[in-house]
Amino acid sequence: MANDAYQPSLLDALTVGIWRENPTFRLLIGMCPPLAVSTAVKPALTMGLSVIFVLICSNLVISSMRNILKPHLRIMMFTLTIATFVTICDLYLRAFLPDMSKILGPYVPLIIVNCIIIFRAEACASKSGLLVSLLDAIGTGTGFTIAICILAGIREILATGNLIGYRVMPEAFVPWLAMQMPVGAFVTLGLILGLSAALTGKNKGAA
Amino acid sequence: MSKIKLFIQESWLLLVSAFFFGLLIAVADKAWTPKIEQNKLGETNQKMTSLIPAAVNFEQTADAEIDLGAGKKSKSRIYKALSADGQCIGWTLTAEGSGFADKIEMIIAVDKNFEKIAGIDFASINETPGFGDNANKPAFRNQFAQAPAEDLKLTKTGDAGKIDAEIVAITGATVTSTAVVNSVNNYIKPVKEYMLSKGLIQNGK
Repeated sequence: MANDAYQPSLLDALTVGIWRENPTFRLLIGMCPPLAVSTAVKPALTMGLSVIFVLICSNLVISSMRNILKPHLRIMMFTLTIATFVTICDLYLRAFLPDMSKILGPYVPLIIVNCIIIFRAEACASKSGLLVSLLDAIGTGTGFTIAICILAGIREILATGNLIGYRVMPEAFVPWLAMQMPVGAFVTLGLILGLSAALTGKNKGAA
Repeated sequence: MSKIKLFIQESWLLLVSAFFFGLLIAVADKAWTPKIEQNKLGETNQKMTSLIPAAVNFEQTADAEIDLGAGKKSKSRIYKALSADGQCIGWTLTAEGSGFADKIEMIIAVDKNFEKIAGIDFASINETPGFGDNANKPAFRNQFAQAPAEDLKLTKTGDAGKIDAEIVAITGATVTSTAVVNSVNNYIKPVKEYMLSKGLIQNGK
């Protein structure tokens, strides 16, 4: 792994994860948190920021040891790194944001097995320099955060009529309880995926 | 010998990193554990205070062992609620039961002689949003305040506003309602007996 095989332009490294290879809407990886914790914007944002933190830390660590990494031991190294930063993140949330930690419950420790992070470690950090890895982590993390917040925003408005605690729907609006349950996550996600495919013309010719 | 050498050669990075990462976690844990413990304590205290507003202090008194039947045993932590002048004005006890989705952990507050329930609150509840979740809403919870601390009954219809031993179930959440009422019943009686046997409360009757 001595050669830096992945060398995008710096702008590309930053933006590729936000739209073209958005982990949630375009690549469909790491789908557990977008489905599970998108009931309201606040926990979704906390989850997004946690993922950005873990992604940046793991990308930087992996990138800095990419030249001495033994190829057959790399997955173990990735998991070890990710698990460390997720544990730190979990402890931090429990100490300073206990309410959020309670809502997110097991989904913070579950970031360890989130595919996005190990995918960026394998596809980018172990094959490119520190700067590219950092930009890539910020880009991919932001893409994930935006995606989960869009989902959470739609679900929170339809399920409660509020957005981050503020009333946005008219008083007569009847909350859709289903949006707060798993079915709401799947339906919203499906519609957004369809929309994003239509926007980018990915389904052309499929008729 | 060469095998050990090969092992070290291949995995030294992993071993060294594991050591340093372990150190990192240990430092973070050491630094933040007191804060985490304090958060938990503060939350319980806040809930107990909202149940017995007149209390200024809660003193952990005892742990009662509860026999839930069918070989199941559980522990209930009992706190004594003290007023500003040091008088005992009530008790709170922890209880738990199996809800629809997860374990429901509750805090039950009772008056000085275990005759009336002062109120209940939930330390942990993860029931279905919109259904079982409503157990945490005042409409259901307030039925317990001032209810007699004896066997409570769950009914499907009735006046939820009337305070008596009948608790009106939550629509669409029979399992949750049953779990909450059963936990209250399962814990109050044995804890009362335990307190009587220890001489911590006097039987008013």
